[in-house]
Amino acid sequence: MLIAAVAMFDSRAAFSPSAGTALGDVGSRWYPFWAATIMGIAAAIVGYRALTTLQPIEGAFEGRRSVFAVLKIAVPMVAYAALIGGIGFRTTDFTYRIVPAFGFYLATALYMGLFAWWLGRYKIWWVAAIAVAFPIVIFLVFEIGFRVSLPKSFLYTSGLLPF
Amino acid sequence: MEVFGQLAGGFATALQPINVAMLFVAVVLGLVIGVLPGLGGTSGVAILLPITVFIAHGSLPGSDATTAIIFLAGIYWGALFGGVITSILFNIPGEPWAVVLLFDGFPLAKRLGKPGLALASSFLSSFLGALVSTILFTFFALPIALKALEFGPAELFAVFVLSFATLIGLGAEAPMKSLAMLALGLLLAAVGFDTITGEQRLNFGQTSLLSGISFVPVTIGLFGIGEILASAEEQGIGFVENISARLGLRDVFEALRELRKRLRLVLSNAIIGFFFGVLPGHGATAASFLGYGLARQYSKNKENFGKGEISGIMGPQAAADAAGVASLVPMITLGIPGSPTSAVIMAGLFIWGLQPGPVLFIQHPDFVWGLIASIYLGHLLTFILCLLAVPLLAMIMRVPYAIITPFIVVISIIGSYSLNNSMLDVFITVLFGIIGYWLRKMKYPLAPLVVALVLGDSTERELRKALIAGHGSPLYFFNSGLSTVLILLAVVLVAIPLIRTIRARRRGAAPPAVAAHP
Repeated sequence: MLIAAVAMFDSRAAFSPSAGTALGDVGSRWYPFWAATIMGIAAAIVGYRALTTLQPIEGAFEGRRSVFAVLKIAVPMVAYAALIGGIGFRTTDFTYRIVPAFGFYLATALYMGLFAWWLGRYKIWWVAAIAVAFPIVIFLVFEIGFRVSLPKSFLYTSGLLPF
Repeated sequence: MEVFGQLAGGFATALQPINVAMLFVAVVLGLVIGVLPGLGGTSGVAILLPITVFIAHGSLPGSDATTAIIFLAGIYWGALFGGVITSILFNIPGEPWAVVLLFDGFPLAKRLGKPGLALASSFLSSFLGALVSTILFTFFALPIALKALEFGPAELFAVFVLSFATLIGLGAEAPMKSLAMLALGLLLAAVGFDTITGEQRLNFGQTSLLSGISFVPVTIGLFGIGEILASAEEQGIGFVENISARLGLRDVFEALRELRKRLRLVLSNAIIGFFFGVLPGHGATAASFLGYGLARQYSKNKENFGKGEISGIMGPQAAADAAGVASLVPMITLGIPGSPTSAVIMAGLFIWGLQPGPVLFIQHPDFVWGLIASIYLGHLLTFILCLLAVPLLAMIMRVPYAIITPFIVVISIIGSYSLNNSMLDVFITVLFGIIGYWLRKMKYPLAPLVVALVLGDSTERELRKALIAGHGSPLYFFNSGLSTVLILLAVVLVAIPLIRTIRARRRGAAPPAVAAHP
């Protein structure tokens, strides 16, 4: 409903008579306004039904175990995506980085290694092998084979690594 | 017959070495994706979609857009077959359309000790269902496309409205949830520049949103990441049954004998599956449940269902594969995806610079007929591979969770980044992955969201073109007989769940649910 309300507010010019460019055209705001209105009404009905009908006591998750199972995947994934480009903030004339850009390959090595060590509980040399082998294979297939340029790390800009 | 000449040309295209090689790679990938419980056919196609850009633009020697579509469709054919292997052998469905095989496929393998027969019956009926559907596709596609060429904006808009109505009226989930998802998809498609006036909208001052929200990162997130999160919750809950995965010639011959007894059922389910699959939004999953229902309804041995009845394997498999193939028919002929997977394939066409719909038959006949010919070849290849490689495919189930899960995330991130070299797309993928997981959890259907996101631009364009032609009058939509009929049909379809709910309330019971669709 919130999404619908924001979109309706942004598209309030739907009611402006000079919206379109041609005779009979409804303008650029008309369509998103009514899509948002339909969404808002449908969401309100779903919300009303959810409030007026009996819901299961245990809620959406089957227990604490299932919440943690999802978080175990979701949190490292968000951290992985953030590490690729680095963490920081931007002002009008400068970008400050708290964590430097690890690039795709270094971040992948850390991410795959973390899973092998944490969830797989493999021995340390297996963890190291997985962390090294996967980025190298991906580099050969995508960067060399398909010529897809993936984000590079801060070590690439200083010439220490090829990725 | 013109069709035979075109099909022969299609075979000449599909049989080019690069196309055969990519079809083989795609089918193997599809089988692997189908076997993996954490990754569905739609996710697999979405994740690998960005790679096809490089294939379509000639990164491989001799490759073009036809190679790209043969590759994407091949993944789907592989996944259609591969999903059943784990259902039958391990009691774990690899794909949503393989859920129905838990009822009779697993009991035949486990209780009656005939895993080879169960697998061979499934593969044979899948192959026959797909073959019937492809033959119907071959003969129906051109007439539908030629008719669609006569459509004006009013008729095209009415077709879009009808496809949205089927998503609401025949969907498995609550119609209001489908409607909300549909409207959200239309809204997301409207972000960025308005294609008619060039005005900016819904970008909230962000220049990065001016080009709109790209379909690919959203789909990779909703399906790829969303499924990974959903399956994370289920890990460790199920106990993996271990059954010998050997499939011998004796099993194939026994399955052939059983198929002969059920030829009528398989053929009729294939034809029904085809017409069901053509309906927008309803892919293989809904057809598989329909096929099971029909097999049980007309069986003389109803009491054997649920205990390893072969009709309970052959009926749904024939319908599911027929519907899977048929879901490409509206995409190719009208530019309307028949299922979420075909919506992803359709997005591929846009990215390669092609316009899905009837003009494809005129402008790129080699592309269309190459695809149709590759469906025949793809299914034959999948069938042979399935017969030969079941033990190998069953071993994929043993790849550790701690490796396969992060690997799928990594491939998803590569897919979303590589299309526009944009980190924003990576964040959109992660965000929509979490949203997709939550929507699944709250039982919101994803199909209307994906279909609306793909069709949003075209729907708005045709609506506004029709309004301009009609000087702003909505009565313009009723000037043509065809658009009037289609709009009335759409109204009836939307009214169906409403009537169902009112009737159920009068009886004091909950409204009956229709089989789930992917």
